[in-house]
Amino acid sequence: MKSIVEIQNVTKVIKGRTIIDSLSFNVNKGEVFGFLGPNGAGKTTTIRMIVGLIGITSGDIKIQGTSIKTDFEKAVSHIGAIVENPEMYKFMSGYQNLIHYSRMSKGISKKKIDETVELVGLTDRIHDKVKTYSLGMRQRLGLAQCLLHDPKVLILDEPTNGLDPAGIREIRDHLRKLAREKDMAVIVSSHLLSEMEMMCDRIGIIQNGKLIDVQLISDFVHGKEKMYEIEVDNKDKASKLLQKTYPLIRIKQTEIGVLLPLIKEDVPETVQVLVHNEIQIYGIKEVTKTLEDRFLEVTSNKEETAHA
Amino acid sequence: MLNLIKNEWMKIFKRSGTYVMIGILLLVTTVAGGFIKYQDSKGSVPDNSDWKKGLQVQNEEYNKHLNEMGSSASKDVKEYYERNIAINNYRIEHDISPNEEYSVWGFVSNISDLIDFVGLFVIIIAAGIVSSEFNWGTIKLLLIRPIKREKILLSKYITVLLFGLFMLFILFAYSAVLGAILFGLPENPLSYLNYYAGEVKEQNIIVHLIITYGMKSVSMLMLATMAFMISAAFRNSSLAIGLALFLLFMGEQVTRLISMKYEWAKYSLFANTDLLQYIEGTPMVEGMTLGFSAVMLILYFLLFQVIAFGVFKKRDVAA
Repeated sequence: MKSIVEIQNVTKVIKGRTIIDSLSFNVNKGEVFGFLGPNGAGKTTTIRMIVGLIGITSGDIKIQGTSIKTDFEKAVSHIGAIVENPEMYKFMSGYQNLIHYSRMSKGISKKKIDETVELVGLTDRIHDKVKTYSLGMRQRLGLAQCLLHDPKVLILDEPTNGLDPAGIREIRDHLRKLAREKDMAVIVSSHLLSEMEMMCDRIGIIQNGKLIDVQLISDFVHGKEKMYEIEVDNKDKASKLLQKTYPLIRIKQTEIGVLLPLIKEDVPETVQVLVHNEIQIYGIKEVTKTLEDRFLEVTSNKEETAHA
Repeated sequence: MLNLIKNEWMKIFKRSGTYVMIGILLLVTTVAGGFIKYQDSKGSVPDNSDWKKGLQVQNEEYNKHLNEMGSSASKDVKEYYERNIAINNYRIEHDISPNEEYSVWGFVSNISDLIDFVGLFVIIIAAGIVSSEFNWGTIKLLLIRPIKREKILLSKYITVLLFGLFMLFILFAYSAVLGAILFGLPENPLSYLNYYAGEVKEQNIIVHLIITYGMKSVSMLMLATMAFMISAAFRNSSLAIGLALFLLFMGEQVTRLISMKYEWAKYSLFANTDLLQYIEGTPMVEGMTLGFSAVMLILYFLLFQVIAFGVFKKRDVAA
């Protein structure tokens, strides 16, 4: 995998406040990279720096090896982006909007515009005024706008904001298809975890302007350990016993039994220990962690270590 | 660059407000034409062959006034009398009757007062052309194209200038057509008598009109540039429109007041925007010359542009 977007130690200071603090990560070709963080963490600021809307205090951002700082025109020509909502000229038709943007990049033919319109499925309404479009249609027009010049990197800030489930799904399918078929790198930001889980290959978590973690989505959601809940008759005895066996892990009592993190291979041994000590086991179930749990876990852990 | 200007032009003419502006301009011109026509039909041109005698009597009258007032006469009043005397003398010498029919050229010349009106519309466009993009949020999509910000701003400024020319052309052409219909073409080509620095000169009327239009557009150009600067630097179209319009209509009067007391008034923008004062009339502050005004105008122009481009280029777009 070749990385196409390189964020190198980027810092942004606005009026003495550090908004982004030495952020570094790479995004590869053909992957959907999710940029996750709570509101105000610096997602939008980072995206604006990547597309050159705001300056970089220190560090550098390279697109296809070209710095956005020193050669803005070349670097940005590889990018197609929607920053926040896809704002269009409402008094013009969708087609006129596309003509407008096509005039600003080199070599976009009328045919290419028609193809793009077809791709996002707006052919029927493209000659209507944007005023009359629904939010979903505007989002699609926004997508058409950033696909016109065949960019290598697609950047979407909160692409599903305000869309209904059907619209979200549509955007998701589009993005996955583009990454796969056109080998584009797609960067998406969001604070909605469930959405990220379905859309992205990798995610970077940002909090208070710092990058906390970058993980493959599969690793991130599942981790190596899983949580198991064992339903037993004597909760106190069971938890004491297990604590003796695994002194390092944290064991919690639930209403029906005990909850503890285990790797798969340790499950039989655990059962044996309990059975040998005459504890009745009624059931064992794997409790899957959602992205949300993981996210809160990761962000609060890091905060603790930061405060310690 | 041509493509960028085409884009801006498209954005101006896809909005209904633009057509309202053109409509108002045509309407006001028509109303003014109707009004003048109505007045014109009441009083006909006196056809006395004794006009030379009349002018002589008038001149004697003027001279008497001048002598009576002596040194107490203000500069403006003195200038006014001297000018009329000089023109009257020229008419007598060269046998040019003052009793000419009001024709299309007289109308076009009168209508040139509406250039301030054109200025109003051009200022509105100039004030909105950058700040609207911020208001609409479209600036974010506009500035992530492979085009330098300076180039985008320049294309917007050129579009404002083209729009100004376009509106002036409409005013000139429409008033010429309307004037020709209402008042007819003059029988023989007229010339305009121009008085400057104690001398009277004959000028082709069309040349004179084009110069008048050009000169009267200077303050429009400067204020549109200022509105554009405020719009680009502060992203605030209300401030840009308000300030520029206030100065367009009040700037000259205020400067005239200041100039009565203080000599530094000549460095203000509005002491210099009226270039006609050098061609026909007297400068606002004694000692000002066309060269001085030209230099001042260029300095103000550069100041506005430096601020506009400097701020726009550096600005973080966070809207």
